[in-house]
Amino acid sequence: MRNRNVVAALILIALGVVYGYLTAGLPKRSLPDTPDPSFFPWIITASLLILSSVLLVQGLRGARDAPDTAGGLRAPTVFLVLFVVYVAVLPFTGFVLASVPFFAALMWLYGERRLGWIGVVSIALPVILVFVFRHALQIPLPTGVLAGLLG
Amino acid sequence: MSPDVVAGFAGASLPGSLVATALGVALGLIVGMIPGMTISTGIIVVLPLTFVLDPTLSIALLLGIYVGGMTGGSFSATLLNIPGTPSASATAMDGYPMAHRGEGGRALSVAIIASFVGGFFSFLCLYFIAPALADVALRFRAPDLFSVVFFGLTVICTFAARSPVKGLLSAVIGLVIVTIGQDPVMGTARFTFGNADLLAGVHFLTALIGLFAVPQLVDNMIAIARGQGDTRASTRVGSVLPKMADLKAMRLPAAIGSVTGAFLGILPGAGGPIAAFISYDYTKRFSRNKDQFGKGCVEGIAAPESANNAVTGGALIPMMTLGIPGDPVTAILIGALLVHGLAPGPLLFMERGDFAYTVIFSFMWANFFNLAIALAGVRLLVKLLAAPKALLMPTIALLCVIGSYALRNSFFDVWVMLGFGLLGIAMRHLDMPVVPLLLALVLGRQLEEHMRVALTGSSGDVMVFFQSPFSVLFLSLSVISIVWSFVSERRSGRPRPAPSS
Repeated sequence: MRNRNVVAALILIALGVVYGYLTAGLPKRSLPDTPDPSFFPWIITASLLILSSVLLVQGLRGARDAPDTAGGLRAPTVFLVLFVVYVAVLPFTGFVLASVPFFAALMWLYGERRLGWIGVVSIALPVILVFVFRHALQIPLPTGVLAGLLG
Repeated sequence: MSPDVVAGFAGASLPGSLVATALGVALGLIVGMIPGMTISTGIIVVLPLTFVLDPTLSIALLLGIYVGGMTGGSFSATLLNIPGTPSASATAMDGYPMAHRGEGGRALSVAIIASFVGGFFSFLCLYFIAPALADVALRFRAPDLFSVVFFGLTVICTFAARSPVKGLLSAVIGLVIVTIGQDPVMGTARFTFGNADLLAGVHFLTALIGLFAVPQLVDNMIAIARGQGDTRASTRVGSVLPKMADLKAMRLPAAIGSVTGAFLGILPGAGGPIAAFISYDYTKRFSRNKDQFGKGCVEGIAAPESANNAVTGGALIPMMTLGIPGDPVTAILIGALLVHGLAPGPLLFMERGDFAYTVIFSFMWANFFNLAIALAGVRLLVKLLAAPKALLMPTIALLCVIGSYALRNSFFDVWVMLGFGLLGIAMRHLDMPVVPLLLALVLGRQLEEHMRVALTGSSGDVMVFFQSPFSVLFLSLSVISIVWSFVSERRSGRPRPAPSS
């Protein structure tokens, strides 16, 4: 494991360079003697490059990190992948259809093993949430293919 | 008495407002108490509600959670030796040994009463200082406003991080994100890549949900995978009625905690954990029973608990008078007000004085409810310490999606929330604080706007920032805070508690 400060500094220097490049391409529109829209981004670019250089120096001088305890990282990775898939299908399936399997999978990942209980809760909770938000709070959630049923 | 004060008191005392405050306190006590949930998570849960509720009710609910959450953290700190919130870390040092002796009820009653003393003291500070400060702030012009916002941001960076460079970098990342969208003076599209969704910029509430809730969901999952998720413990509480001798012993620590907490609350970014540890330290120095600290003494609980609740009222002062949030919770309060078109700042006191006082008196009621609900319900509440994570965490995940979607009815915002979640996880892995980033998102636009308006007024002459005494004062304080944080990092090298709420 590389020193985290060095990693963070290198990422941020790269960000600074890209941000500076994009700032240079901003349109020049302003009155004479007044700062234009790229004025503030230039200050940010400079701050980003200076501060991340300081962090790089600190990182190179500092001691190396202890290795990460990598145990138990599989579940969070699965969780994040599930989350991305869930958000991706949400506009098409609607809130309930997407949430039921997502909720059930999360209950399993958080250690629940009673399948009957998972089944009941993962169906009941999204349905309750939709009705509470739609009817009590007037916040419509995406209905997707169930538009006629829940709308 | 000014009519605004009377109207504000009446607004905060309406049955609906009182119910919202009490519900907020109860929810705050619960989320504060459950390890793995913070006050910010509690607020994220009710965030969609605040978009539709009347602003008076929204604020009452949110203030209730803020106040209740600070006290709730002490329950698990005392009974399980696991602080429910970072602010309760210092409480565990004496609360847990006392509970271990079988005096859990006594420890909790001290914590609850000290919380009330700290909270009520900070209400008095808020009531007397905020309107006066708002009067002064009304005289601020663009250069002063720039300097105040700049000061707020630098203080947050230096307090919120173990390393000042990382704190400042986190804020700069926030400023990079805030420049996406139309610029605040001329409306030019910047860094939008032709995407219409980016024109309005990134909403900081969306960012906040991702930054705070998603890493927490992952942390809880890792804890469960490592077999640390079980928080069931012997939660025998015993009598929670305070004893006269304990009340006497609390006087000095509660006084020290209240003053320290309210003062540090005013400084953006200092927050509950720092106030709690500092007041614990001071009380120990002044106490006659120094050797009892750490073994379960009343003073060791009263000092940090009064301090972390006193922080709440203190933090509301810059939030209400200058629009500067000191922590994620006050940032959300600003967001909740902005959704209803109420911008916190000196003008709030002038144009909507009644509402400003409603906020102040709702905060007062929150402290009374906190005392009553915590004392009366403590036996019932501690049973929730064993609440199943397998039910709570997936619900929070769904509410993150609902909260970010409901803000502008946009799926794009849900992706943005998820993106910020990943950013939050990466920053945590790289040991970078997320609080400065969030507050830069809240303050960045104002910072740029005031700077450009000031420079436009002076035809580009930067000396405009050094001509007003207010501006010079705040710029000097900014420099001092940065220099101080570098010096103190060199001297101690000791990690400071991170002030997330």
